[in-house]
Amino acid sequence: MMRRFLLLVGSILLLVSLLIAAWQETRKVRPVALTPALTGKVEYCLSCHADLAEISKSHPVKTFGCVVCHGGEPLALDATLAHSTMRGGKNPSDFTVVQTSCGGADCHSGSPDSSRNHIQRATTSIQDTYAGAIALIRYTYGAQPSLTALFGIVAVEDNMNTSGITSLKAFTSTNESNPQLKLFGENCLVCHLSAQPVQTGGRYDHFTGCSACHTPTQSTNLVSVDTSKATQVHTLTTTISYTQCDTCHNRGNYDLRSMVFQPRTDQPLDRLHDYYQPISQFTKCEYTLDCIDCHTRSEAMGDGSLYGSKFDIQYVRCKTCHGTTTDLPQTLTLEEPNDLAFRLALLNPVVVLKPGDTILVTEKGEPLWNTRLLVDGTYQMVGKATRQVFTFKPVIGSGCQQDPSDQSSAACHKCHSVQR
Amino acid sequence: MSASKFTRRDFLKLARTGILTVSGLLGLGGLIRFLGYQSQPPALTEFNLGLASDYSPGSQTLLQQVPAMLIRSEKGFTAISLVCTHLGCTVETKPDGFTCPCHGSRFDPQGKVMRGPASKPLAPLRMEITPDGKLKLYTE
Repeated sequence: MMRRFLLLVGSILLLVSLLIAAWQETRKVRPVALTPALTGKVEYCLSCHADLAEISKSHPVKTFGCVVCHGGEPLALDATLAHSTMRGGKNPSDFTVVQTSCGGADCHSGSPDSSRNHIQRATTSIQDTYAGAIALIRYTYGAQPSLTALFGIVAVEDNMNTSGITSLKAFTSTNESNPQLKLFGENCLVCHLSAQPVQTGGRYDHFTGCSACHTPTQSTNLVSVDTSKATQVHTLTTTISYTQCDTCHNRGNYDLRSMVFQPRTDQPLDRLHDYYQPISQFTKCEYTLDCIDCHTRSEAMGDGSLYGSKFDIQYVRCKTCHGTTTDLPQTLTLEEPNDLAFRLALLNPVVVLKPGDTILVTEKGEPLWNTRLLVDGTYQMVGKATRQVFTFKPVIGSGCQQDPSDQSSAACHKCHSVQR
Repeated sequence: MSASKFTRRDFLKLARTGILTVSGLLGLGGLIRFLGYQSQPPALTEFNLGLASDYSPGSQTLLQQVPAMLIRSEKGFTAISLVCTHLGCTVETKPDGFTCPCHGSRFDPQGKVMRGPASKPLAPLRMEITPDGKLKLYTE
């Protein structure tokens, strides 16, 4: 009797065990395999992430997959395990890991063509080092005798040594004796490309590295959104709206007496008031266009050399596009198929450039590839973010009486400015 | 006592049999699923393209499944891989050759690099015509 009873209990336990196993099996993620052309190795990331949009036209998932950029465990179906070895958490472009995620001679570092070495350029740029501001603050509080840049947010070397600054040491607030400089280090060095963000989560997960500029937020800007909840779309783009620049440049200001960030309290409702303008006088084009319509890639991302002040790398002025009373702006007729202008236009195809087109170039020869010389001698610019078409004239023949030797923005703004 | 009476013993026996049957079926289902698992099939490296005579002289045929461009000239058959030699995107055919949609590399109709970042030409692919007149293409 007992034997039969035990047999029945055993049968029930066996059935229950099998049912539990079957139930767990139905709950498992069904693997969706992808073998990217670039790596040739199977990865199962799409089992859970099939709904993610392509990150960019230049990085199709069928070619790149996910792991080559993000890291992680390619064959794991458990989320915790799969994500356990991801590089940079949610941001593989964070500069602590960017070389592994985005580097390589065919990608963004180590190319014989220096214009393709974006990592070298970005990690020595003033946006990353903050060298000018650190030098200015240390000089102001008597910690160094001149404005020469000595420190960056992280230590960095310039192997090209073209600007006169060969290296920067890492600024460490604990090494400073002045309490203001300690506060500066603790409170102010939190929003440059290598800095540790002041918060985590939401927007702040992509506040560093390449994604700070190239991964746009879904929300308009930090002034008007809850930054902890604002998120990015899965995108890498060179179509960078002024609102993306605003996420860092237009949030408020630091009080240099207290070294405490003072966020903006206003709620701008239009572009004129929303736009970042560090100067009190500016013209219509300085808020109608987007920042990247005028400021070049070397101004924003650096040119691979260390600089001690943004004024040493930021050089585009009104005359770059408009010329002076004596000189037309510089132009270039595109003939060489490998011209940088074609590549930039391909990445953000707001214009179709053809060999034979004449575009404006800056004083350093950087192509303003979204411009074009028209047959009537005027110029056309297509907004890189807005796709708006603007036409404009050179200063020559306009009646402008500005001194050709004084091309500061203040001189232009004496006649050309708007109020807000 | 009636012979048809369903005893407690009969119930236990029936229950045990039923449970064991269901368990057996479940186990068998699991075993079939386990044995029927198919791993990721390796990428094809050999393609049968049908009769060679189906491709007229002077024709260019896009083979999307490879991907490759099959060219039949007066001299015979050639095939060019459409995998960009830069990072592996599939190039698009244009009137003047091929263009990579990812990074803009351009190749002439013979696969020679016209514009970077690619530095190597599109790879020629090995082909053969079998004794029965069929065309085969190999990617390795």
